[in-house]
Amino acid sequence: MTYIMLKIENLHAEVDGKPILKGLSLTVNAGEVHAIMGPNGAGKSTLGYVLGGRPGYEVTEGSVMFDGQDLLALEPHERAAAGLFLGFQYPVEIPGVSNVQFLREALNAQRKGRGEAALSGAEFLKLARAQADALAMPQDMLKRPVNVGFSGGEKKRNEMVQMGIIGPRLAILDETDSGLDIDALRVVGDGINRIMRGEDKAVLLITHYQRLLDYVKPDFVHVLADGRIARSGGAELAHELEREGYGAVAA
Amino acid sequence: MTTLVLPARNEEAWRWADLSRLPALAEAAPTAIRPEPRWIGLGGPHLVFVDGVFDAAASDPGRVALGAVDAATGHPLGRLATGEGWTLTLAADAVADPVEIVHIATGGASHLPARIALADDAVAHVVETFIGAGWSNRLTAISLGRSARLMRSVRLLQDSGFVSLRDEVRVGEGASHVAIMLGAGGADSRIDAHIDCIGEAAFAEMGGALLTRGKQRQEAAVVVRHSEPSGQSRQIWRAVAADASTASLAARVEVARDAQKTDGEQSLRGLLLQRSATVNLKPELEIFADDVKCAHGATVGELDARALFYLESRGIEPARARALLTRAFVADALDRIGEEKVRETFAADADAWLAGL
Repeated sequence: MTYIMLKIENLHAEVDGKPILKGLSLTVNAGEVHAIMGPNGAGKSTLGYVLGGRPGYEVTEGSVMFDGQDLLALEPHERAAAGLFLGFQYPVEIPGVSNVQFLREALNAQRKGRGEAALSGAEFLKLARAQADALAMPQDMLKRPVNVGFSGGEKKRNEMVQMGIIGPRLAILDETDSGLDIDALRVVGDGINRIMRGEDKAVLLITHYQRLLDYVKPDFVHVLADGRIARSGGAELAHELEREGYGAVAA
Repeated sequence: MTTLVLPARNEEAWRWADLSRLPALAEAAPTAIRPEPRWIGLGGPHLVFVDGVFDAAASDPGRVALGAVDAATGHPLGRLATGEGWTLTLAADAVADPVEIVHIATGGASHLPARIALADDAVAHVVETFIGAGWSNRLTAISLGRSARLMRSVRLLQDSGFVSLRDEVRVGEGASHVAIMLGAGGADSRIDAHIDCIGEAAFAEMGGALLTRGKQRQEAAVVVRHSEPSGQSRQIWRAVAADASTASLAARVEVARDAQKTDGEQSLRGLLLQRSATVNLKPELEIFADDVKCAHGATVGELDARALFYLESRGIEPARARALLTRAFVADALDRIGEEKVRETFAADADAWLAGL
């Protein structure tokens, strides 16, 4: 049975009064991995931020339904509690707040939002350590301030550890592959498959390059150009893009 | 009663102070409203002063002496604190249990002198808490002998009124003076200190966090003077101002001609929670020696919108996200408190302030 996880219809959005998304429509079913590819400036990151609810990203038209509810009516923290996870292209450094404190607060806030009991410190640490191990992230990085002094690759790995701990239903991953060397790319790709493959989950991978898609095989590939989906296809479309460039394929 | 003579705003050291409420507070009568003392519970001597008067029944002063105090000053507020007060004197090599003092104000004005005198190698820890309402004015004279160490933690938690502190400190050779202040109540305040590093390789640290809201005004004005070589000083202050409040920090380091190899650090940072609030920062250096290191920084800003969105996108509620970031902002100033129980209590007081926003 097909279950619609995310349904975006005719989405228009602007930043600082400048239209970026211009009528984007996309449907993601549960159990599917979709890749959004496109040239710089096409609106890929804007799509991620609009879905995450970042202030300053104004929706001017259209609708987004997530898991049967109006996503755009929810605050960013309510979207998270509803099961949405936004993986950042540039994860933010937060001095003075440790990774464990941040993640425990985040997870328990989400659990509270869903009417579930909070995890104790011990229960949480067990979960956090298991996820860090699975992503080959040293344990001591859990105690360090959020992303402070982390390399680009470590920050992306930390995003995946967060995703593993939180266990979302829909992950929107914005350029999660950027800044990763080939080994880290494999670890992160394996992480996405391990955490997000499932009948009741879905992934929207926003990426500029095809190489992450070697590890996380998409069911569908969409080309985003000038604020809307210019073309959709299967996994083979990513290879075609890599070979021929966005100009030729999206035209 | 003598007429209250207060410094004028046109004096540079008082430019951000608003003492206009003090004459009325000085005339106000004490009330019967006496809040319960707030103890941290350090197991050592503990003293309660109610409107500046020692409450023997509620206290166990241990080796703290009550009576006339050997402290005098020309400071315009400090000089009001005459008469009986408390004195902690430690002989050479003595180590005292932590002393805890709670100052309860019931609505009137009180002026209390104190003295802490540590002989060579003595070690003491003093924690003071101010609660209630009214004007609490304090003068504390501190002298540290060779290699003596004093850790002083003060939290200002009065609901209303004014707390004015004047510390006059002499730090001897190799001695260490650390004073950490937390302003997390509803009263206005003036934390005022002059720290003289009179011995070689003396260490002086004074800092903390001032949290203001409503129309509250809190300020710290600290001068550290290095007279001898190889001294070190740290002034790490954080100011958080909400609503239409004002928090001001003035930190000054003076390095005399003979005080070569002085290593001074000043870090003054302000955080505006609303644009209607004000933070004033004034880092000052006056250096007459030529081989010194004095790092200084002063910045005022708002909470990082990107960090807020990052926290919220992981499910943390907006108010909690703001509190987490604000708490992180003041953390490094309060982390200097050595005693874990005191540090955690001060952090909890800061949390309680944030939770009430």
